[in-house]
Amino acid sequence: MQIIDKLSILADAAKYDASCASSGAPKRSSEGKSGLGSTDGMGICHSYTPDGRCVSLLKILLTNFCLYDCQYCVNRRSSDVPRARFTPEEVVTLTLDFYRRNCVSGLFLSSGIIRSADYTMEQLVRVAKLLRKEHEFRGYIHLKTIPDADPALIAEAGRYADRLSVNIELPTDASLQTLAPEKNIGSIKQAMQTIYTGEQTVLNEPRAPKFAPAGQSTQLIVGADDTDDSTILHGAQALYGNFRLRRVYYSAFSPIPDSPKSVPLAAPPLMREHRLYQADFLLRRYGYSADELLKGPGNLALDIDPKLAWALQNREVFPLDLNRAEASLIARIPGIGLRTTERLVELRRQRRIRYEDVARMRCVLAKAKPFIITSDYHPQQAEVTSHLLYQQLRDRPAPQQMGLWG
Amino acid sequence: MINLDCDDLFDTWRQQARWLLSHEIDPSLVSWAAEGVGDLFASDHPVPEGQGPFQARIPRALLDTLENAARYRGDQRWSLLYEVLWRVSHGDRTAMMAGDKLGSELQRRIKQVSREAHHLHAFVRFIERPKALPGPQYVAWHEPAHDILHSASEHFIGRMGRHRWLIATPRDGVYYDGEQLIHERRCPPEWQQLAQNVDDPHGDLWLTYYSHIFNPARLNPKVMQGHLPVRFWKNLPEGELIPQLITQARMGKQQDGQASGISTRAGKRIALKGVERSG
Ligand code: SF4
Repeated sequence: MQIIDKLSILADAAKYDASCASSGAPKRSSEGKSGLGSTDGMGICHSYTPDGRCVSLLKILLTNFCLYDCQYCVNRRSSDVPRARFTPEEVVTLTLDFYRRNCVSGLFLSSGIIRSADYTMEQLVRVAKLLRKEHEFRGYIHLKTIPDADPALIAEAGRYADRLSVNIELPTDASLQTLAPEKNIGSIKQAMQTIYTGEQTVLNEPRAPKFAPAGQSTQLIVGADDTDDSTILHGAQALYGNFRLRRVYYSAFSPIPDSPKSVPLAAPPLMREHRLYQADFLLRRYGYSADELLKGPGNLALDIDPKLAWALQNREVFPLDLNRAEASLIARIPGIGLRTTERLVELRRQRRIRYEDVARMRCVLAKAKPFIITSDYHPQQAEVTSHLLYQQLRDRPAPQQMGLWG
Repeated sequence: MINLDCDDLFDTWRQQARWLLSHEIDPSLVSWAAEGVGDLFASDHPVPEGQGPFQARIPRALLDTLENAARYRGDQRWSLLYEVLWRVSHGDRTAMMAGDKLGSELQRRIKQVSREAHHLHAFVRFIERPKALPGPQYVAWHEPAHDILHSASEHFIGRMGRHRWLIATPRDGVYYDGEQLIHERRCPPEWQQLAQNVDDPHGDLWLTYYSHIFNPARLNPKVMQGHLPVRFWKNLPEGELIPQLITQARMGKQQDGQASGISTRAGKRIALKGVERSG
């Protein structure tokens, strides 16, 4: 089979993984050196596909042959898809070719499980090692970690890769047992622990060889089973806490060809995925807790964003005086982001903040208005009930349609 | 009115601005000509000679900010900067801040400039020239909307190592010869030709990848266009694929994510018999 045919099959098989980030790597440069590649911590999106997703890395599988039978996965052994397998050298050639063209900032390599977990992991590590050692490649490498692989192999992977990831895929044990019978949460968490330990070991040793400096991430599939958002967000919070994960990716279950009866045939719940990302961002960057966003069981609202939802449920906090309120509270005002918060604080050191100042900043004024006070403005809506505000501020038209056609 | 021309060079503008400031010439009395058209000192205002008495202390950070904003191509490119300089040097720091009318515009320009630098890092596409040829090994054609080429292309020195590369634009151009970066304010026509007439015999690999990593079940052209503005499509090899991928996805391929080229191939289920399994 020609390399281009393999590429078409093995890229098609890799598209269900949401992550394509190339951020978080340490500063590396090839200036004046042989070899190729640099990283500077910031990711670069070299292109966007018409699904709105960023293309930052060459994201492919080494092979889509797989011994497992995960029901949500297009590569499961019972799936009737064309199969292919790259040699490690072919992956290296493609990575370097795309990199020189400036089409990607590196490689994200994953694989179906062939022969054994160890064998598969060895193959992945080999590609990374070839790139780093033989070709002095200093671009970004993200390796998928095979949960049951020998910890020594995972440790080796961490020396070549910027990022490692172990996908949880299904948010609960029970779902994993029904939909991915060969996997188990125990070995997935074990692998995360191995990576976490590797990171911690080099943390305070400046001269130790680097270990996965861009940290680890995972992916959860949303909508393949009936797990609710509350369970998902509390799970994500635990992962951020326990293993210091950099990112949890949420991937709306995307119907696959030749779909088994155990998973839905419906279109992917893109708006739900979007709300989970927003909520996740609030967890990571704004200091919200999962309990604040969803106390009991249930799902995030589709027609309002989670920050607005929180504000509507906590009206006693608002309206906030932008000239006085603490920065961490200002950041909780709907429509006002972290950057705008910083700018407001900077500006009020110089003079009193007026309404038109806020209007000129990059914020969603319609959302912020009922929740702010400035030196010349007090919201009439402060007295309006949350229900009415919700009616005024919710998204229209129907969110499902926005997700697909927006 | 004092009319000045700085030939769109920040250093020239800086000298002029320092001189204006030393005479405390109010921003409303000064304008800078758009590129090439102003005649120098065609002024109906008496123009003082030499440096004036007012000594403004200009923080380094402000100069960096102004230099950054100066890369923005647009109306009032230089007079806006003078107004900011004027207000800050007279004690009003809000002139640099979002929220203030002038400061918001300054920050907007800086944001546009940094976005455009990012677009260069992202959307430049190098094509390899035949190995035996002298000169650049990799060439690219790019059309930035602001004057970011020189400063932003340093990024490629770290990325490309000792390789020799060239980026040509309709205005300026850069060439890295393996050791140093050469910037030409008027891109030599030979460079432009090198960049625009180059064969790419292996370009189909990237196009194949691009078509197959796209998930038609998640079609969302609006989000895509927000990140990848249409003006870049014509210089991206994948640009011409975009409309057809969108159309195909709309024609009922939203049920699942597989690309059409894959579904027509013979599939293969995998039997477990005889293979060793672990995990
Ligand atoms: S292990 Fe499961 S999820 Fe991974 S490729 Fe195989 S079938 Fe798909």
